[in-house]
Amino acid sequence: MDQTEKLPSKVFAYAMVVVLLLVFIGPIIWFVLLAIRPTATAFSMPPVLFFEPTWDAIRYTFVDPGNNRPQLFNSVIVAAGAVLLNLPFSFPAAYALSRYKIRGRKNIMLWYLGLLMAPPVAFLIPYSILASSVGLKGTYFSMILICQTLTIPFSVWLMRSFIDEVPVEIEEAARVDGASTAAIMLRIVLPLVRPGIIVTSMFAFVFSWNNAAFPLVLANRGTTTLPIGTLQYFGTAGVTWGFIAVAAVAAMIPPMLIFLALDRYVVRGLTFGSVKG
Amino acid sequence: MTLASVPAAPRKRVRRHMPDYVPWLLISPSVILLLALIAFPLLFALKNSFYFWNLQMGPTPLGFVGFDNYKMALQGGFFLGALWNTILLTVVGTAVEFTLGLMIALLLARQLKGMNVARALLIMPTTIAPIVVGFLFRYMYDPGGGLIPWLLTSVGIPIPAQGLLGSSTTALWAVLFADVWQWTPFFAIVLYAGLLSIPDDILEAARLDRTPPLALLWHIKLPLIKKTALIVVMLRFMQLFNTFDLIVVLTKGGPGSSTRTLGYTLYQAGMVDFNIGLSSAMTWMMVIIVNAIIGLFVFFAFRDWD
Repeated sequence: MDQTEKLPSKVFAYAMVVVLLLVFIGPIIWFVLLAIRPTATAFSMPPVLFFEPTWDAIRYTFVDPGNNRPQLFNSVIVAAGAVLLNLPFSFPAAYALSRYKIRGRKNIMLWYLGLLMAPPVAFLIPYSILASSVGLKGTYFSMILICQTLTIPFSVWLMRSFIDEVPVEIEEAARVDGASTAAIMLRIVLPLVRPGIIVTSMFAFVFSWNNAAFPLVLANRGTTTLPIGTLQYFGTAGVTWGFIAVAAVAAMIPPMLIFLALDRYVVRGLTFGSVKG
Repeated sequence: MTLASVPAAPRKRVRRHMPDYVPWLLISPSVILLLALIAFPLLFALKNSFYFWNLQMGPTPLGFVGFDNYKMALQGGFFLGALWNTILLTVVGTAVEFTLGLMIALLLARQLKGMNVARALLIMPTTIAPIVVGFLFRYMYDPGGGLIPWLLTSVGIPIPAQGLLGSSTTALWAVLFADVWQWTPFFAIVLYAGLLSIPDDILEAARLDRTPPLALLWHIKLPLIKKTALIVVMLRFMQLFNTFDLIVVLTKGGPGSSTRTLGYTLYQAGMVDFNIGLSSAMTWMMVIIVNAIIGLFVFFAFRDWD
């Protein structure tokens, strides 16, 4: 294709790409700059592009007093916990939905998909009151448990697409040798789809990490996650933008790194395995 | 895929070794856990939608009121106004994001040198938590020196004195713009993958026929990526319909009720005004609407699926 492209058309295409990157990446860089900007230049217009960076906001948010440091830790616990709890539920289901042509398989898959499209906000108030009444409010466990409504359906869909790619013949050979279903699933299929499970877990981690709705109503001061903790800086005494930017950028980095690392699986992850990419 | 390629005979043998309850045994733990996690809150909301219960007045429901909460929600356009905002946001948002995303996908599909790097970077907005996108845009929209008002005024576009988020004529569009920024790359990347999967010989034949570019897109490329397009449109449509964390950060439904979406309205009723009864009634109204839309999507888009 390259050779047939005319030069002006190529130049135009590259110019468009530059504009796109400016529009879609520019704001992110602008926010990163806010994190290291002297407060006086945060709102000076025309924009100040060059300045002496200051580490004050980073020091305040993560070192002394470092209010956001435990929140970063909380975010890791909730997201990692949600992924770990989901695996024993989602892997067997994904395996069964990939390998058995049972009646109602399509409906079960669509039911999981429906859960992913359900409005989380519809469950927030009941969860908040129910969690208080059973003494779970403010615990990591409550957030990890409720996150399963996202991680399980997502992981079933994505993992199933990976299991579909493992040839079924290997399993049949093992079955002829007398292996049980559990042994086949855990000793043969599990090692073969390990890359798929890792990819699924990393995306599930991002989705739990980015979920703000559940911690918003379930967390307390001690267990709140990073994005929700950032809300505290929108105080009545004025908004401290430097601190917000540091905390927000810290919340952005893990999902970005995971997406860059999983580049060739991004389309597959974002479409729950239904588009191979 | 692999399952379909297995000849019929071995599968028969497989079934003899695997009794029918095995798949159900493997699926049921996840289904039972999920059913419990959604049934409890839904039943809780259903019961309380018939009670008067304000958390500021008491920790338990204060009295049976029949359908009063539903009536209250429907009075004075409280619910319907939010529904209208939600539909506007959802339909315009999905259409704009799809169109822009498709244009970017077509650009990326030219596969010029270096475009892979651009593609990997382009998805970054989509990776950010919507609530963090809210922080980012609140900074950029700030009427006292934000980047966006400054850019608009420098090219001669007037800005409302209260700022883009502070004026009821622009606030919903400002929220929509933040969403378009975040999710256009999602459409671009997925549709690009769809375009790449079109077999080369089809495109080659079209080129030999000198098919005009727009006809090529409309009659050949789009029909071939229909399935992919339907999936992303459906996912995005529902996410937009459920929008609420972006609103929490950007506008809290204001000014007035100009950016009150359904999601934010029931959040506000329950978590800000502590009116659990009213919030529960609206929860059920929203759940019924969402189920109806998903049902329509599934009926039309997934009829011949799997």
